[in-house]
Amino acid sequence: MFALSRVAKKPAEIEPLPLSQVGRALKVTGLLEIEGELHVHGTVSGRINAERVVLGTGGCIEGDVVARDVCIGGRLTGRVFALHVTVESTADINGRVFHNTITVDKGARIDGRMPWRPLNYFETLERLPEIR
Amino acid sequence: MTMFTRSDKAPDPTGAKPSTATPPSTPAAAAAAEPRPAQPRPAYTPAAQAASISVISKALKITGQLESTEDIQIEGEIDGDVRAVTVKVGANAKVKGTVYGDEVELAGSVEGKIEARKVVLTATAHMSGDVVHNDIRIDSGAYINGHCKPEYGKTSNNVQPLHKPAAPDKA
Repeated sequence: MFALSRVAKKPAEIEPLPLSQVGRALKVTGLLEIEGELHVHGTVSGRINAERVVLGTGGCIEGDVVARDVCIGGRLTGRVFALHVTVESTADINGRVFHNTITVDKGARIDGRMPWRPLNYFETLERLPEIR
Repeated sequence: MTMFTRSDKAPDPTGAKPSTATPPSTPAAAAAAEPRPAQPRPAYTPAAQAASISVISKALKITGQLESTEDIQIEGEIDGDVRAVTVKVGANAKVKGTVYGDEVELAGSVEGKIEARKVVLTATAHMSGDVVHNDIRIDSGAYINGHCKPEYGKTSNNVQPLHKPAAPDKA
């Protein structure tokens, strides 16, 4: 999935993550799959599978985000499945955030549950019925 | 008595400090607003202006649509339509679907259709499908299998570049 398998790789094999960016004017509808980092400053409606997702202050995501690290600074409607979640003060979240570790800045607006899950939950993530 | 006079004097120097601290903020704000006065939201910092670039890197695969009022650079794989002002499809990129734009520069592969005012097919381009254009350049080495029609803007179903972005980044 979001390559927990990467952990098993030797450090030398891990190249810097390729960065993709959804610019402010861009609106993407559908499924985004990336073996790397995705920055969202525009709008994404649909599903994101990534290693790391950064949602910029002006960005907007509607749908599910599955990643190892997620940093939320914009508006998010939907679900997040991530090991490490950072919620910045500019965030506006509506939905559930499944996490293992989380940081929430003062000022963030969160409407929804933020359930904790053990590590192995994320390893088997792709097989969970609730993801589909 | 001396205590009272001392306490009277003490607040004065501290009170003067905040006034000296405030001025620097105004030139900084003015500098941030200067670079693009035409933009509707001058509050954006230079860092946010970098956010206007859209890059689909080679590790990214998108199934669905992309719509932009600015430029898109594609190095990855897209299964769906792309709509933007300037679209650059990199050498290893693949697009299955229609690419609409004002300018389209193709170095990778498109399976579908290109509709743009200006089309450039570079030597590494691989185009399967029709090209609707107004101005085309095909470099030696480019593969093209389809019709080239100089009809951009002549048929009614042509899609013009989108207007300003809507609601999402209002916040």
